[in-house]
Amino acid sequence: MKPLILHGHERAITQIKYNREGDLLFSSSKDNKPNVWYSLNGERLGTFNGHQGAVWCIDIDWTSTRFLSGAGDNTLKLWDCETGKVIGSISTNSPVRACNFSYSGNMAVFATDKSMGHQCEIHIIDVRNADESLSKAPPILKIPVNGHRVSSLLWSSLDETLLTGHEKGEITQWDLQTGKKLSNVTEHDNTITDMQMSKDGTMFITSSKDHTAKLFDCDNLMLLKTYKTERPVNSAAISPILEHVVLGGGQDAMDVTTTSARIGKFDSRFFHLVFEEEFGRVKGHFGPINSVAFHPDGKSYSSGGEDGYVRVHNFDQSYFEYGFDY
Amino acid sequence: MARKKVDDKSNCSGDSARNNDGDTSSNEEEPNFSDPDDYVDDISNEELLGDIIKQTPKETDGVESVIVVDGVPQVGPDRLEKLQSVINKFFSKFGNIVNTHYPTTEKGHTKGYIFLEYSLPIHAQEAVLATNNYKLDKQHTFLVNLFTDFSKYEKIPDNWKPPESQTYEGQSDLYSYLLEADAYDQFCVVTAQGQSVQIWQNTQPEPVVVEDRQNWTQTYVKWSPLGTFFTTFHKQGVALWGGPTFTQYKKFTHSAVQFIDFSPCEKYVTTYSPQGDVHNPDQKRIIIWDIRTGQEKRSFNPEGPSAWPIFRWSHDDKYFARMGTDVLSIYETPSFGLLEKKSLKLQGIRDFSWSPTDNVIAYWVAEDKDVPARVTLLEIPNRNEIRNKNLFNVADCKIHWQKSGDYLCVKVDRYSKVRKEKNEIKYSGMYFNFEIFHMREKEIPVDSVESKEPIQAFAWEPVGSKFAIIHGESPNISVSFYEVRVGQAPLLLKKLEKRACNHLFWSPNGQFIVLAGLGSNGGGSLEFVDTQDFVIMNTTDHYQASDVEWDPTGRYVVTAVSSWKTKVDTGYYMWSFQGKILKRVNLEKFVQLLWRPRCPTLLDDKQLKEIKKNLKKYYAQFESKDRMRQTKASKELIEKRATLMEKFSAYRQKRIQEWGEQKSRRLELRSGVDTDELDSDVQNAEEEVVEFFIKEEFIEIE
Repeated sequence: MKPLILHGHERAITQIKYNREGDLLFSSSKDNKPNVWYSLNGERLGTFNGHQGAVWCIDIDWTSTRFLSGAGDNTLKLWDCETGKVIGSISTNSPVRACNFSYSGNMAVFATDKSMGHQCEIHIIDVRNADESLSKAPPILKIPVNGHRVSSLLWSSLDETLLTGHEKGEITQWDLQTGKKLSNVTEHDNTITDMQMSKDGTMFITSSKDHTAKLFDCDNLMLLKTYKTERPVNSAAISPILEHVVLGGGQDAMDVTTTSARIGKFDSRFFHLVFEEEFGRVKGHFGPINSVAFHPDGKSYSSGGEDGYVRVHNFDQSYFEYGFDY
Repeated sequence: MARKKVDDKSNCSGDSARNNDGDTSSNEEEPNFSDPDDYVDDISNEELLGDIIKQTPKETDGVESVIVVDGVPQVGPDRLEKLQSVINKFFSKFGNIVNTHYPTTEKGHTKGYIFLEYSLPIHAQEAVLATNNYKLDKQHTFLVNLFTDFSKYEKIPDNWKPPESQTYEGQSDLYSYLLEADAYDQFCVVTAQGQSVQIWQNTQPEPVVVEDRQNWTQTYVKWSPLGTFFTTFHKQGVALWGGPTFTQYKKFTHSAVQFIDFSPCEKYVTTYSPQGDVHNPDQKRIIIWDIRTGQEKRSFNPEGPSAWPIFRWSHDDKYFARMGTDVLSIYETPSFGLLEKKSLKLQGIRDFSWSPTDNVIAYWVAEDKDVPARVTLLEIPNRNEIRNKNLFNVADCKIHWQKSGDYLCVKVDRYSKVRKEKNEIKYSGMYFNFEIFHMREKEIPVDSVESKEPIQAFAWEPVGSKFAIIHGESPNISVSFYEVRVGQAPLLLKKLEKRACNHLFWSPNGQFIVLAGLGSNGGGSLEFVDTQDFVIMNTTDHYQASDVEWDPTGRYVVTAVSSWKTKVDTGYYMWSFQGKILKRVNLEKFVQLLWRPRCPTLLDDKQLKEIKKNLKKYYAQFESKDRMRQTKASKELIEKRATLMEKFSAYRQKRIQEWGEQKSRRLELRSGVDTDELDSDVQNAEEEVVEFFIKEEFIEIE
C-alpha cells in the first residue's frame, strides 16, 4: 500500500474531510489556508485564502457547493466551493473550534473557544440564502456552555439534535427546539478530540486524549464499544462498508522530546468494530495524526498529521479479504 | 429477691432522711453532717468503694514476678557466693533480678531450691520458658516454675473438668501452589505503588488472575526466597501471606520498615527501618524475627550506612554475619549470640560473602602500605582459613559465588598508578583480573583471567561451569563466555562483539542467557543466546525496559518498564526463552513484576537423569496437551466473538429498521434527492472525466 502524500500545507494538519461523493478531499491546517484535493490522484484543486489564523475546523455540505471553516482569527467563513470565494464571514469573540453543516445543509453550527474572558458558545446559523449579510444576521439559536468547552460537535437525528463532545470527556445531546440539554454522558476521562458519524447516522465514534476511542448510539448515547490504545487518540472514523474503525493519534507533539518516532506511535490503527480487536497498523507520519477519514466508498482512507502531510491510502486487495473467524 | 426489695426500700428511706437533714439545715445554721445517733449504716464499704478496695495492695502482690528454681546444687555456706554469682549471671539474661532468696538448713546448706524475683512478670515468664529443664551439669537440671503456679495448682476446684478439646484449625497449605499439575508459575504485578496488587498464574495460552487486591501494600512487595510467603509493606510493619488464598500468615510490627531480608531457608526474616520511628525512639532499626512463631529474636541499631543486606545468612540459616570496621561478627542461631562470643578482628575487611551451599565465608581485606590485599576463605564454625590469596595493586574486589558453590570468582580491579588528590585516591591504568577458585578441588586451586578492558557485568551460569562478562567501552562492547574446567585455566568459548547491552541474565537452569541493554542508554535491546552452540536465537527490544525477570523454571522471560524509571509505556512483555514474544501488556503506573520462586526440586540426580532420558516419551503428551489448550482457547475466542457479533447484529438490525423508516424525512431534508448510497441518486449524477498525467515515456523513433 503506497500512499499518495499530499504536500501543500506548511504547518500541522488540523482536520481532513471528504465530500459526500468522495471525489474531493478537504484539508485544513494551522497555516491559515484550507486546501481541496482530488482524492483520486492527490492533485490540488485550490486553496481557500482569507483566514488570518490557524484553521481549526472545516466542513463541506452534502451538495459540495459550500464550504465552512472556523479559525483562530475569531471568524467562521462560508465559502463558495467552486470559486473559493468567501460568501460570508462571522466574527466571534474567541477562536472557532468546531463547525458542521446540518444534514439538510440549511443550517450550520459552530462552537467557540472558552478564552480571552469569553465563554464557550454554540451558535446555530441559517445558511440557506447566505450572503455578505451573514455577519450581521442573528443566529437562530445561541447556547452558552457553562461547563467545559466544546471540543467537537455533530448534528444528529436529522437536524433535530446536536451532539457535543467536551474538554473533560462529557458528551451532551442538545434539543434544538428548546436549546436545552437532553442528556449527558461521561465515558471519557479526557478531552474528546473528534467525533464522526457512521454512514447511516445512527452511531458515532469519539476519540479522546484518554487513549481510547468509543462507539456510541446517536439517540440514547449508549456506549457500544471501546477501542483501547496506549497513546492519545486524536481522530477516529468508521468504515462505510466493513466493520472496521480506524484510529489516529500518538504522543502529543509537545511531549515528544528526545524520543524517536518509534516511541511516539504515530500509526493509524485499525480495529474491528464489534470485537474491539486491533488487526492492523499503517505507519508513515512522523508526528501525531490529527485527523483520519474514510473515503465514502470505503476503499481508501486518509490521514493528516502534525507533520503537515496528508496521506491518502488505497487499500490493497488483502485488506478486503482479511476476515475474523467467528 | 424479696430481700433485695427491702434493701432498696431502706436505701430510699436513708436518702430521704438525709434530704430532710439538708432541708432543716438550710437556714444559716452550721450544717450538721454527723449521722443521727440511731442511724445504722447499712451500706457496706464493699458496696461504696468496691473498685478502690480492689486496688489495695495484697501480700501476694508481685508474686507474678517470682520464679521458683528447683534442682539447684546444694552447697555449704562457703560456696554460697559462687552459686549466687552463677545463678545471677544465668538468670539475669531475662531481666533485672530484684530479689533472691536461698532457703538454707540450720547448718547453712542451701536446700536445693531458690526464689528469684524479677522486676516484671513478663521476665519471669520468659525465664520459665527458657530455663525449665535446663541442664546445668550432669547432676543438676533446673526445674523452673512461676510462683503463682503453686497457688494455682493448690486451688484446683473439686469439680474441675478438663477443657474441651478444640478442633484443630491447621495452617492453610502453604505449598499448594507447587501442586499445580502443569507446573504453571505464579507472578505478582503491582501497579501504582501497591494500590493494585494482582497475582497471576501463568497458564497457557492466557494467564489468569488468582488474586486481585486493592491497597494490599503501601510500597512494594517481595516473595520469600523459596516462594512460600508473599510480603507486603505497610507503615506499621510487614505482613506475610501464604496458602491457596493468600491469607495472612504473620505480621511483624516495625514501623517505617523499608527493607527486609529472608534467611535462605525461610526460618528468619530481618526487617530494617532506616529512619527509625519518630514516635518510638526505642525501636531498634533492625529486627530479626522468627517467621514461624512471629517472635522477635534479636534487634540491632546499625552504625553508619552499609550495603543491604547488612546481615548475611549462611545457606542453612545456622549463622549470620555482619561486617563492621575491621571486624566481622558472626552470630549463630537459634541462640542469636555471637559465635564463640567474640567477633573476628580482620584489619581492613572490605566485603564478605557466604557460599551459597557451604558454611564458608569469602572475604577480602584491602591493601595497607606494604601488606598486600588478600582474599580469604574461612570455614565456619571452626574458623579455619582454608585458602588465602594475596593480590597486589588492588583498587576494588567483587565476590561472585557460583550458585551451586562449585566456584568462586573474585573480580579484581587493579591499577598501575595511584595518586592522592585532595583526600581522594585516584587510580589510573586500570586492568581487571578474574580470580577463579575451584572450590571442589583439592587445595582449592586458583586460576586467573585478565582483561584490559573495563568490565560492565559479570555473571555465573547458575547451573554449569560457564560465566559471561560484558567488557569494553561503548560502542565497542563485547560479551565473552568462558568455561571453567577441572585442572585447567578458564577457556574462552565465544566472544560476541559490538553488542548493545549492559546486563546479563542467565536462565535459572543455565544454558540460555539474555543480553539486555537496560536503563536510559541501553534502549531496551534484548538478545537471546543459547550458549550450547552460541546461536543467537533472537535480537529484539523492549523500548526503555528496566527489568528482566526469568521465571523460576527458565521457560519464560519477562521484560518490564517500571514507572519507577519512566512514565511512558509502562508495562511488561512476556517472551519464551527463545525470545519469541508471547504477550504485550501495557499497564498504566505499572511498577513491579515478580515471579514466585520455587523450592529446589526434591528429585535426586538419578530421578532427574531418568526423566531426561525419557524426555521424548513426554514430548508427545505435552504437545497434545498444548494443542488441546490452543484449540480450546481459539474456540473460546470464536465463541466470544460470535456472541458479540450476535448481540451487535441484533442491535444494528433494530437501528437499521428505524433508519429505513426515516427515509421520507431524509428525502424531505435534501429536497428529494436520495443520498443514502453513493450511487442511489442516478439521475442527478454527472460523470466527469478527469484526465491526469500518469507517466511520461520517451520512445525514440529511428
